[in-house]
Formats: sequence, structure tokens, C-alpha cells
Amino acid sequence: MRKAAAAVVMMVVAAAAVAVAAQEKKFGTALTLTEVTKVSDIYANPEKFSGKRVQVQGPIVDVCAQMGCWLALGSDQEFQTIRFKVEDGVIVFPMSVKGMNAKVEGVISVETLSVEQQIAQGHEHAKEQKTTFDPKTVKGPKVNVMIKGEGAVVF
Amino acid sequence: MKWRRWNNTLHRDVGYLVVALTLVYGISGLAINHMADWNPSYRQQKTALTIQPLTATDRDGMIKEALPQLGITEEPRNAFRPDPDTLQIFLPEKTYLIDVPTGQVIVDRVRPRPVLFEMNQMHLNATKGVWTVIADVYAVALIFMAISGMFVLRGKTGFTGRGKWFVLGGALVPLGYYILR
Repeated sequence: MRKAAAAVVMMVVAAAAVAVAAQEKKFGTALTLTEVTKVSDIYANPEKFSGKRVQVQGPIVDVCAQMGCWLALGSDQEFQTIRFKVEDGVIVFPMSVKGMNAKVEGVISVETLSVEQQIAQGHEHAKEQKTTFDPKTVKGPKVNVMIKGEGAVVF
Repeated sequence: MKWRRWNNTLHRDVGYLVVALTLVYGISGLAINHMADWNPSYRQQKTALTIQPLTATDRDGMIKEALPQLGITEEPRNAFRPDPDTLQIFLPEKTYLIDVPTGQVIVDRVRPRPVLFEMNQMHLNATKGVWTVIADVYAVALIFMAISGMFVLRGKTGFTGRGKWFVLGGALVPLGYYILR
């Protein structure tokens, strides 16, 4: 009788775990926009979107390994990614979301990164990812586009 | 003195209540404090292997070529090409980073550190919601412990005795840091 009860409990727990896993996970504040903007459209004309609130969707191709404070989303076009950055501690994205899809919302920030800034970022990222970074890959100043936000849905 | 008896009883019992949370925040604090040197929440393991260079020119064709060579039978979560020479294949807890022209692969395996991951999630209030309330109550309990602790003993070893000098010494640590840094 006890074994049967234990088996039932385990099945219920397993079913609940599967149900929870299948659900989408919400992080931070609720998404408010209804229209999804293509990442490729933002890159095609960053200045047009600078300071504007957008909702973007894509695969999560990278996650901040230290604080979970940013996601890199793949664009609708290949070879393009966009970073979704949140204030440290506001949202902590677990690394388990890597490879899943996300819908995020925030304000587009456009800034020009100097060579020195890119090199510093490259070294920091390489240290975080335990890889190496070659400063020679930096050819000149680069326009950096990111989404500063407070809310995301991962599915 | 009746208030001191209450103070000591509450100090003792609240102290018992916060033992577990203090250990969680203390251990996690040590781990997070040295984040620059290690990843306190995840164990990251990178291994290298080589497969045949991928000849397909589109993403789906590359995936079809790569999966059997990598021995992957499950459906990947996702795949992405960050640049023309790289294909990323995502599985739960594992990312395959394939250099398309050479077939060199880096397998990036990320697993949460047992116990420490959960402790850090609590410390960083990653889940928000109910934990925010628990953390607030814990913070108030710590403030109470600090204040009530000063009045547990009377006489020479109490606050009015040598205790005040210890309290002053302890206060000088954060004060001194901000003045001298």
C-alpha cells in the first residue's frame, strides 16, 4: 500500500515537473507591447529606433554567466545578435535558458564603442567564457545596439 | 529588569530561527564575493573534438550533417549561426560551437553547482516574489539581532563596559573604508 502511494506521489511530482517545464517562464515586469519588431529592422536603421520601446523575439544564443544580467538574442537574419541588458539584480537569468526562445521588451540604446572599449569588453567576455580574445579582431569604432529592459518571457 | 529578560529570550530564539538563513547568506556571500575569479553558480566545462568539415551552405543542411557526427539523437533546442564560419547547436545544458570549415568543435557544458546554485539564487533574490518578503523579514531579524545583542550582558562585559569599544571598533570598519578609500 505504501509503495503504491509512493508511486502515485512520484508520478504526480513528475507530471507537475513536466507541466512546469513546459510552461513559459516570465522574468521581471510584464510585457506590454503587442507588436514584435524584427532585429534586422533595428540594425537596418538603429538611429530610428534609438530611445524607442520595442518587443523583440529570438533564440537565446548566450547568457551572462556571472550575474545572469543579459541575454544575447539571435536575429531573424543570420550573423546578427542583439543584447538584452537588465540592471544587475533586477532579473537573474539562469544559464538553463540558453538555447530557448525569448520575447523581451525594452528601450533601444545606440552607442558607438571605441576600439579600447571593444578590447576591454572582449577580454571581459573571454574571461567569463573561459576563452581567448584577439584584440586584432577589432578594426575600428563600432555602433553598438542593445535593448535595455525590465521584462522577458522565455519559452 | 524585565525588558532585558525579554531582550535575551528574543535574541536567543530569533537567533535560532536565523541560523539556516545566515548560513545560506554567509556561504553564498563568500562565493559571490569572488565572482571575478570563478563562477559561483555554474560549473562550466569546455571540451574539444573534431568532426568532418561541414559542406552544406545552409543552416539546416549543416545541422543534418553535424548531428550524426556528434552522436546527437535528440532534437536540439535551437541552432544559430553567429557568423558565416560558425554553427551553434543548443541542447539543454550543452552548446556545440562548430567551426564549419575545419570541423573543430567546442562542447560547452554548463551545470548548476549543487546546493551553491540554490543558495546564490536565494542570495541574489533571483526568484523575487515570496522570497523578497522572506529576505526582508530576515534583514529585519538581523537588525534586531545586532541591536538586541548589545544588551544581552550587563556590567564589565556588557555594552556599557567594554562592549561599547567593540561596537565602535566594528563601526570603524565600514566608516574607515569609506573615508580612506
